[in-house]
Amino acid sequence: MAQDSVDLSCDYQFWMQKLSVWDQASTLETQQDTCLHLAQFQEFLRKMYEALKEMDSNTVIERFPTIGQLLAKACWNPFILAYDESQKILIWCLCCLINKEPQNSGQSKLNYWIQGLLSHILSALRFDKEVALFTQGLGYAPIDYYPGLLKNMVLSLASELRENHLNGFNTQRRMAPERVASLSRVCVPLITLPDVDPLVEALLICHGHEPQEILQQEFFEAVNEAILLKKISLPVSAVVCLWLRHLPSLEKTMLHLFEKLISSERNCLRRIECFIKDSLLSQAACHPAIFRVVDEIFRCALLETDGAPEVIATIQVFTQCFVEALEKENKQLQFTLKTYFPYTSPSLATVLLQDPQGIPQGQWLQTLKHISELLRKAVEDQTHGSCRGPFESWFLFIHFGGWAEMAAEQLLMSAAEPPTAVLWLLAFYYGPCDGRQQRTQTMVQVKAVLGHLRAMCRSTTLSAKDLQTAAGQGTDTDPRAPAQQLIRHLLLNFLLWAPRGHMIARDAITLMAHTAEITHEIIGFLDQTLYRWDRLGIESPRSGKLARELLKELQTQV
Amino acid sequence: MESLLQHLDRFSELLAVSRTTHVSTWDPATVRRALQWARYLRHIHQRFGRHGRIRMALERRLHNHWRQEGGFGRGLVPGLANFQALGRCDVLLTLRLLENRALGDAARHHLLQQLFPGPGVPDADEETLQESLASLARRRSAVHLLRFNGYRENPNLQEDSLMKTQAELLLERLQEVGKAEAEGPTRFLSSLWERLPKNNFLKVIAVALLQPPLSPRPQEELEPGIHKTHGEGSQALVHWLLGNSEVFAAFCRALPVGLLTLVTSRHPALSPVYLGLLTDWGQRLHYDLQKGIWVGTEPQDVPWEELHDRFLSLCQAPSPLKDEVLTSLETCKAQDGDFEVPGLSIWTDLLLALRSGAFRKKQILGFSPDLSSV
Repeated sequence: MAQDSVDLSCDYQFWMQKLSVWDQASTLETQQDTCLHLAQFQEFLRKMYEALKEMDSNTVIERFPTIGQLLAKACWNPFILAYDESQKILIWCLCCLINKEPQNSGQSKLNYWIQGLLSHILSALRFDKEVALFTQGLGYAPIDYYPGLLKNMVLSLASELRENHLNGFNTQRRMAPERVASLSRVCVPLITLPDVDPLVEALLICHGHEPQEILQQEFFEAVNEAILLKKISLPVSAVVCLWLRHLPSLEKTMLHLFEKLISSERNCLRRIECFIKDSLLSQAACHPAIFRVVDEIFRCALLETDGAPEVIATIQVFTQCFVEALEKENKQLQFTLKTYFPYTSPSLATVLLQDPQGIPQGQWLQTLKHISELLRKAVEDQTHGSCRGPFESWFLFIHFGGWAEMAAEQLLMSAAEPPTAVLWLLAFYYGPCDGRQQRTQTMVQVKAVLGHLRAMCRSTTLSAKDLQTAAGQGTDTDPRAPAQQLIRHLLLNFLLWAPRGHMIARDAITLMAHTAEITHEIIGFLDQTLYRWDRLGIESPRSGKLARELLKELQTQV
Repeated sequence: MESLLQHLDRFSELLAVSRTTHVSTWDPATVRRALQWARYLRHIHQRFGRHGRIRMALERRLHNHWRQEGGFGRGLVPGLANFQALGRCDVLLTLRLLENRALGDAARHHLLQQLFPGPGVPDADEETLQESLASLARRRSAVHLLRFNGYRENPNLQEDSLMKTQAELLLERLQEVGKAEAEGPTRFLSSLWERLPKNNFLKVIAVALLQPPLSPRPQEELEPGIHKTHGEGSQALVHWLLGNSEVFAAFCRALPVGLLTLVTSRHPALSPVYLGLLTDWGQRLHYDLQKGIWVGTEPQDVPWEELHDRFLSLCQAPSPLKDEVLTSLETCKAQDGDFEVPGLSIWTDLLLALRSGAFRKKQILGFSPDLSSV
């Protein structure tokens, strides 16, 4: 408590000085500085109020002899009065100073003076004399017309900005850049006032014709902050303009998304989808420049985390939402795929972008083979673009990781000999860093496991132990090796799809999940599978029910 | 119902008293009761907004008061002018009390405590008085900030936000006064004319006459019984202008030429009177042989250039106004003797000047869509 009051006194000195410098925020520099400190000052006012309300007015004056001066300076600063809840907290503080039963003329004087300040906040911002006379003559009080006046001013300024945007070269009706800059500055405290939305939108969308950015950085920052806190709702087109004009805002939004993902429960694609859609990132990414930045940040995250499954899942969900938004926005692509995926052959991007729902199930295997061929060509082709190497192809492929999951499922469900191309696709997806030899070995291993699993399907007696032996699991191989992870996923698919698998599913999973890491992996797999089935409309009541039950059981364990 | 109406009467009186020195006798209990009454009426506003019959009854009562007090003629507007005002009657009362220096210390202290209880759980159902006042203060500051940091007066008066707002308020008021008494608007306008700065008033009238018809706002769609249109208000304005030649002359003299043309083409009833005025003004000029120009006799006479500009602007308006103007000029010219040489009839000269102006324009622009028939 003692520390708090020392802190408050320090803050008090600091703000007193600031307010004196700001005066009535009439110069450019003071306006800028005021805008930068609005949130902090409001926080200080709040603390001040908490302290004041515990004291009687005499103690207040004893402890803070200049409090009246400080509050008065704040009252005269229109930026502060217009910001968020500052005007309200200021009123609360002033109310604390009023002496309930003034004993002497000094106290009465103080009361009188405070009333003046209160009435200044609430009603004394005098407008043009003619307007005041006219409205009074008609019998209107300010409360009757201020909302309408604000609306008209906002709309008129917004339409002026639009006009300026359209006839930028018509110098007669051009808005001076300083005026636009000044508008963006005064909007900083007003951003969260819904009446001002059309003006904020117009400022963002109309970029004028100056070679350099004329809007204030504080404006961009404040708009982005308000979007993140859901204190303003702007159309996506305006948000796109914001992020194109102010890259730090886009970066901050990405960081905010990551923070939300990290602090929320692991492995829940539905939630990830909500977060992504909520952030407007997937919708805004329809603009290639934004897509590229977002994708670049994902790439960094992937590299920094050494390919964390959570990051991969996020990229996949993001891509799905992005494709959805793209389709919604325009059936015909406005930009070529090359603009979104510059390092990829357009044919590969086109195939990957296909919605599996649009392809008959009988042809899924065929499509997978085609994807595999194109990818393999890109990976093994050293002639051009080789400096980016296989990583680029893999990075592209994981955006559409649903295909890999589908490949594993298809291999298990088909009675035919596993096609080499599909085996390669899986080996590549799980082990992008493997060399050619390593990958061939994985393919041989996987093929053998598939053979065993098929045989097991026919056998009458089946135990979890058998499954483990067949898969070659539990031996001294590193469980983190790509081949092992791939085989685990095949086993899980087997458990979900093979009727005999259902019976031993729980035992098998208990055997498999011997570390927390693997348990998480299995949870991730189940969540992802259910999410994909749901999206593709794959109807399988028994498998679905089992997967959901298993997921629930495992989640309670971690 | 009757008790509700009586409640309304008493609150109207209270509101009237809240501005006077009588409040010096108020103690905290009076303040509390006054706020309770206001809250009750606000509640009534919320509850019966969709209830046409009750709404009308309340509004009729308010209008009766207004009429009985001779408000329209004297231009006095009571605190509560219509049903919607009930929705903010508590804010109105509060602001009046806060600004009234006669309110005693104890009463004022109690008022502030009631108004600003400090942070608390916001009431989900209705906006608290504290929130309404804070939001009003915030909007006022917003207007102030925009006014002094970005706003520029729009050269097109009808698009200027200050003018537009005043025009909207005028139309709204006229409509209400009209509902209360058929002759209300005329008396009300005349009383405003006596009391308000004339130049601003004339501008506001012009801008009001150019307001687009209002489509009902979503909030009002929920409130049957009021179909707000600007039509009634602007009809009242036209009616009043036509009935007061002195005002109309001032109106035509004071306003920018282009604005007048817009107003007359939007309200055809005004055009014959405007043309009549222009004819009068033209007839007052005589030809100065030495200088070779048309000049006035009195200093207040309209100079030739202005007359020419007014006709030119009217000729550039779309039909039928343009045709009407040309016909009027031709008629005047015929009455003067139908001369074709300059210096004998001002109408001949005006027509010549307009034609040559059109010709010049044609030369400069390569076409003349407006004056091709001149």
